[in-house]
Amino acid sequence: MKGAQARAAQNGVPDVAAHLKYCRVVEECGFESLLTAFGFHRPDPIVLAAALGVLTTKVKFMIAVRSGVSSPTAFVQQVNTVSVLTQGRVCLNVVGGHTPKEQRAYGDFLAHDERYERTDEFLTICRALWKEEGPVNFKGAHYQIEEAVLKTPFVSGERRGPEIFVGGASDVALKLAIRHADCLWTLPRSPEEMSGQVHEVLASGTEVGLLVSLIARPTREDALAAAADLLQRVGGEARQVHREYSARSDSAAFTGTLARAEKSESEWLTPWLWMGAVPYLGAPAIALVGSYEEVAKAIREYEAAGITQFLFMGWPDLEEMRHFSDGVRPCLGDSQSSPTSERPPAAMLK
Amino acid sequence: MTLEFHWRLLQGGETANMTRAAEGGRRETGLPDLGRQTEFCRYAEQCGITGLLTDIGATKPDPILLAAALGMATQNIEFIVAYRSGLIPPTTFVQQLNTLSALIDGRFSLNIVAGHSPLEQRFYGDFLSHDERYPRTEEFLAICHAFWAGDGPVNFEGNYYRIQDGLLNTPFVARVRKSPYIFVGGGSEGARKLAISQGSCWMRLADTPAKLMSGAKSVLDAGKELGLRVCVICRPTREEAIQAASALVSDLDPVLREREQEREFIRRSDSISIRQGYENADDQWPTPWLWTGAVRSHGSAAVAIVGNPDEVASAFIEYGRIGITQFIVSGWPKLEEMIIFGRDVIPLVRQKERLLAEAGTSIPQ
Repeated sequence: MKGAQARAAQNGVPDVAAHLKYCRVVEECGFESLLTAFGFHRPDPIVLAAALGVLTTKVKFMIAVRSGVSSPTAFVQQVNTVSVLTQGRVCLNVVGGHTPKEQRAYGDFLAHDERYERTDEFLTICRALWKEEGPVNFKGAHYQIEEAVLKTPFVSGERRGPEIFVGGASDVALKLAIRHADCLWTLPRSPEEMSGQVHEVLASGTEVGLLVSLIARPTREDALAAAADLLQRVGGEARQVHREYSARSDSAAFTGTLARAEKSESEWLTPWLWMGAVPYLGAPAIALVGSYEEVAKAIREYEAAGITQFLFMGWPDLEEMRHFSDGVRPCLGDSQSSPTSERPPAAMLK
Repeated sequence: MTLEFHWRLLQGGETANMTRAAEGGRRETGLPDLGRQTEFCRYAEQCGITGLLTDIGATKPDPILLAAALGMATQNIEFIVAYRSGLIPPTTFVQQLNTLSALIDGRFSLNIVAGHSPLEQRFYGDFLSHDERYPRTEEFLAICHAFWAGDGPVNFEGNYYRIQDGLLNTPFVARVRKSPYIFVGGGSEGARKLAISQGSCWMRLADTPAKLMSGAKSVLDAGKELGLRVCVICRPTREEAIQAASALVSDLDPVLREREQEREFIRRSDSISIRQGYENADDQWPTPWLWTGAVRSHGSAAVAIVGNPDEVASAFIEYGRIGITQFIVSGWPKLEEMIIFGRDVIPLVRQKERLLAEAGTSIPQ
């Protein structure tokens, strides 16, 4: 299982046939978009999205962007090119970068907070280019741009630029999301615990989304058995992998969740929010576990707390997407409690 | 040794006789047109063309992604991805190229250019001078090669880049090569040295064989190839070819002020070869088959071999004799000229190559 392996040991060669099959399941199961993640151990997410995008017709690609030393103009040119190639099926997931060591491999030697400051400048320039209101000029601490004009526009229905998601839990990440993003991705805590911060972000006009794994089965017993089975499969070595990763990481979201999972007396933050797989598979393995009904109820509670978008992961994903689409979604549809549940969730390409 | 022929890819919205001025007024040139471009790729495969040049520039779509999209729709054609240093870090560049290689079976090479317009470089946040852009590109490519060598973590400390423990899990995937073939474009000393140290081929704009001798030996001695950007106007007879050439410049739209706009472009450029090409265009026929008449309106890359199929084939053989073996060709219109070239010129070139080989006077490598 990919998440249980050290990153350096993972295979970075894209398998087009397998990825396409995955895209089809994502489309069939009613997921709106697919996150192509960023990392030295993975194929480049924007090239991958362009290639898969021309072979698909429905799924949208959420391209992960790492704050780095790329030119914002070159970046916008790439995003716009993908938008034309895929009839606008592209949005962005902006992350600050989570390990200084990996950043240095890309020639980036900035510290955590400075990376966010640079990302702020980066997105300011990108959004100015997307406005298409004439030549863009910018002079900041990290970038200087003079009279920039591109001829490849962002093409996607009514939108002039891509929907932007920002991930992170630190104060600087929050500020960045409020300034530039359509939606902030967060890792789950209990809905009560989250609601304060969620409303602060909502008040600024930015949506809040939840990045969470699912283990949903017809009954709670089945789900618990699936969770136990997952632990069985990932084994003990993976725990060391994620401890080592955490020691190198300066991501508040990832290390915070992992530390919490390691220290906590119980693996259960709420009756359905389970951290048991986090030490083995990393922070995004924090999962909603339960019967279809229970998982649907949990999702509705997050919606009630103001969460409007969801990015789900599964172990394995293909199987879990079916459980979501066949089991959980019909339960969600019953209530129609929240108009925002109309927005289909996103998945991740692992 | 055989001559290898590449062609410039058709651009979105491209018309038969498009000058820089005409292109500037058309929004479509920034938009990929997958339908027409894929069809162009298929024709190129049938015409015996090895690779198609995907240009780089602020008025164009991103060339890496365009190559990815077209590569997914084709089987054999290769792409020559143009790129400049100063846009993305070398680690990201290699990661993008390696991903591309895995997706399309390594069917691409690189055309590395230093950039020809300081104004356009500043769009991208790049404020280096012409002479500094070469040393930076040198560092950029050295880092790329270190990744492609695959000898463990990449560490580099230079004047322009600093990379610490660089590792990528996506390797360069191709049938034979371990890294992409690299054309280095440019007529300056900086470009020549860069081609020798980091490239596979030194690519210049067309000129007379005599003038192109300069610097050529050092490149060949270093085991690298020589290449040329050239246009072709080939018709059944010489008269028809010359007529087609004059029609190209007599049909200009006076409203677009194409000559004035090209002059303005040259004024803003700091590329030595582009400026020289423009200045040299006083003499419209530097050889009986080499025509510079379109340079002042269509740009310095518009130097053309003009003639009937046999004359055009012989011109390429002349270049071959001084060791120029790679050609990125273009014509007006691109598609029709490519079909004529594949049908009428390439077979004659192959025939002449065979005759030369039999006579024991093979083209020097």
